[in-house]
Amino acid sequence: MLMTDENQVPGKDNPYAQYYVVKSGDTLSKIAEEFYGDKMLYDRIFDANRDVLQDPNKIKPGQKLLIP
Amino acid sequence: MSRPSPRLIHAIWLTMAMVIVGCAGQKEPATKALAQAEAAIASVREDAAKYSPADLQAVEATYAALKANLASGDYKAVLAGAPQLMSAVTSLKSGVDAKKAEAEAAMAAATGEWNALSQDVPKMVEAIQSRVDSLSASKRLPKNVTQGSFDQAKSGLDMMKTTWADASAAFSSGDPVDAVSKAKQVKEKGAEVLKLLGMS
Repeated sequence: MLMTDENQVPGKDNPYAQYYVVKSGDTLSKIAEEFYGDKMLYDRIFDANRDVLQDPNKIKPGQKLLIP
Repeated sequence: MSRPSPRLIHAIWLTMAMVIVGCAGQKEPATKALAQAEAAIASVREDAAKYSPADLQAVEATYAALKANLASGDYKAVLAGAPQLMSAVTSLKSGVDAKKAEAEAAMAAATGEWNALSQDVPKMVEAIQSRVDSLSASKRLPKNVTQGSFDQAKSGLDMMKTTWADASAAFSSGDPVDAVSKAKQVKEKGAEVLKLLGMS
């Protein structure tokens, strides 16, 4: 079965999913701008990482985030 | 012109009778030999048509020629040609068996490969689709993705989905070799698209 629904987020076991390890001074907005060109899309990263993030404003260096 | 002697006429009749009796004696073994050849060809015909059509055609042509000889009463030609035909059928059968075994091994290998690809490729498509959706929602593209490369990535993703559907259909219809070939095309395209999107 091919998963092609829009807004389908790759699972954590997906070997083709891209990850980013948070560095000191990073914010989700900054990461969104780097990967999407648009800082307003930070919520996509937050939604895809709710298992490790409780608050989009609180990320810690060393956290490995899935970039959908 | 003098009349042939009764002795000569007798000799001619005797010779003709011997020829007729001799030919009649060859009819049964010739018919039997051809029937055996026909049965041997019939037993291999279906597989041969699939795996060795050219060799089957040659055997069928030889058989047809001998059948014509039988019909015309040339039993000697049938008996002379039948062993060669049987030898050709035996050779055809062993060639067909070898090709069939090879094809079955390729099918088994392709099925194993398909099982792995059918787990892997959808994940690749899913990851790419997710990023295309994100970038489509973005007001501008990231520094490492140009509008041209993004457009190429989107058309590449469309090709991947179409080809993957074809691959799945090929597997469902019992052609794992074709399915694997198409699935590999999807993976190759996917590797290109991942680069275009800055994901690899």
